[in-house]
Amino acid sequence: MTPIVVPWSWIVLGLGGVAGTVLITLGALGLRRRKRHGIESVPAADAEALGALPELDLSETASSVFHRWDPRFKIASLIIFSFVVVSLHFWPPLLLCLGLAAGASAAARTPLRRASRRLGAMSGFLLMLLIVMPVTVPFHEGDRLLLIDGLPILTLNLRGLELAARIATKAVVVALIMEPLLSTCPFSVTLAAVHRLGVPLVLCQMLLLMYRYVFVFRHEVQRMWVGMTVRGFRSRSGWETMASLGSFLGMLFVRSMERTQRVHEAMLCRGYTGAFPTTVRFDAAPRDWAWAAFWITAAGVAFILDRWGSVFRALSPIS
Amino acid sequence: MHLSDGVLPTAVAVGSFAVTGLCLALSVKKTNGDDLPKIAVMTSAFFVASLVHVPLGPTSVHLLLPGVVGILTGWSAFVSIFMGLVLQSLLFQFGGLTALGANGLMMGLPAWCAAGIFHYVRGRSAAMEVAGAACASAAAVALASLILAGLLATGGEDFFGVAKIAVIAHLPVVVIEAVIAAFVVSFLRRVKPELLDAPMGWRSV
Repeated sequence: MTPIVVPWSWIVLGLGGVAGTVLITLGALGLRRRKRHGIESVPAADAEALGALPELDLSETASSVFHRWDPRFKIASLIIFSFVVVSLHFWPPLLLCLGLAAGASAAARTPLRRASRRLGAMSGFLLMLLIVMPVTVPFHEGDRLLLIDGLPILTLNLRGLELAARIATKAVVVALIMEPLLSTCPFSVTLAAVHRLGVPLVLCQMLLLMYRYVFVFRHEVQRMWVGMTVRGFRSRSGWETMASLGSFLGMLFVRSMERTQRVHEAMLCRGYTGAFPTTVRFDAAPRDWAWAAFWITAAGVAFILDRWGSVFRALSPIS
Repeated sequence: MHLSDGVLPTAVAVGSFAVTGLCLALSVKKTNGDDLPKIAVMTSAFFVASLVHVPLGPTSVHLLLPGVVGILTGWSAFVSIFMGLVLQSLLFQFGGLTALGANGLMMGLPAWCAAGIFHYVRGRSAAMEVAGAACASAAAVALASLILAGLLATGGEDFFGVAKIAVIAHLPVVVIEAVIAAFVVSFLRRVKPELLDAPMGWRSV
C-alpha cells in the first residue's frame, strides 16, 4: 500500500497564505474602524494621531462559563495554558489549542470586534515575521526552497514560512485567550485574584490606579490636542511638529505631575495607608476546580502530544 | 517594536521573567514606598503619551519614550515601564502575555541607562542638558533594539535575519526619540525644572 504523498510545501504555503490574508484583513478592518471613529468623534481625526483607548471589562455583564468561573482559577489555568502553547513545536497539538482558544472565545461571548482588534494589533509584527523569515532563514539539509521565475536572487525558504506561521498561530491562540481571561469580570476583581495568586499587592494597586488614570489623561490629551488644532497646529513630518509635540508632551507631564500630587494628597485625606479596602471575596466551588482541571489537562495533553507524539506514532501499528 | 507570544524559546521567556522580577524588586526598593501611587499616576501619563503618533514621511510611528521615562523617574523607571507594558499588553495585545518579561527587560534597562546618562549631565549648561537628554534617549532606544536583537537571536540562527532587520527598523526611531526628548527637556527646563531632578527618588534609597 503506497501512502498518498501530499507535498508539504502546498500545505505550508496555503496555511501561510491564509494566516497572512486573515491578518491583512483584520488590520485593514481595524484601520477602517479607526478612521470611521475619527470622523464621528468631535475632535476630528485625533483618534488617528492619539490612538484609541479600549476599555477592558465592557462585556462583564454578559453571562457565560467564564463569567461564573472563580477568577483565581481562571487566571492561573489560562496562564499555564498560554505558557504551554508558546512552548509547542508541532502543528497538531498547536491546532488543537487553537481550536480550544477559539471555542473559549466563543463561549465567553467575546464580541467579534474586540477579538479582531486584538488580532489586528499583532498583525504588523506577525506580518513582518511572515515576510522576513522565508527570505532570511538559512538553508538546511531537507529544506524546501521556492524559486520565483525571473527572480533568481530571491529564494524563499519554506521552513522559514512555516516557522513564522507557527509563531503567528501561537500568538493568535494567546490573543484569543486574553478576552475570556480579562473581560469576563471587573478589572478590580481580576487584580484582587492576581494578588491572591502571589503577585505583590503594590503592583496590583499600581495597575488599578493606572487603569483609572489612563482614561483621565487620555481625556486631558484630547482637550490639549483640540486646543493645539484650534491654534493652527497640524501634525506633519518636520521639525515644527517635533517641537510642538515635545512641548505638548512636556506640558502633559507638568500637568500630570501636578495632578499626581493632588491625587496623592486626596488619597491621604481619605485615610489611605498603603492598601485599598476591598470587598472582593472568592469562593471556590467544585465546578471551578473541574474547569481548571479541564484546561490544565488540555494543556498537558497538547504538551505530551508535542514532545512524545513521534514516539506514539512509531509505536502504533498503522503508520 | 514589542515581541509577541511564541517568538522566544520558552526557557528564555521564563528566564527573562525572573530577571525582570529582580529588576522590579530593585526598582521598587529604590523608590520611596509612599511614592509608588504617584509613579502609577505618572505612568498613566507616559502611557497616554506613548500613544501619540509622530508622522514620519508617509507613515507614522508611536513613541516608545524609554529615555523620557528614565529622565523623569530615575530608579523608578523600571517599575513604571514594566507596568506600562503590562497595561499595554492587557489593553491592546501589543506585546504578548508570555513575552512580558522579555519586553520589560528590553525597555526597562534602557530607561535606567537613560536615567544614568541624564543624571550625569544634570546641572550643567542648558545646551549640555538638552544634548544630554537627546543622547540619553537615543542611547536608550538603541540599547532597546540591541536587547531585542539579542533576545531574538536566542531562538537560533533562523532568527538572526529578523534580529538584524529589527535593529535597522529602529534607526529612524532613535532619531525621532532623541529629538522629542530634547524638546521635552528644554520645555521642562523652562517651565518646571524640578521635574528633571527625578523627584521620585533617584537619590533616595
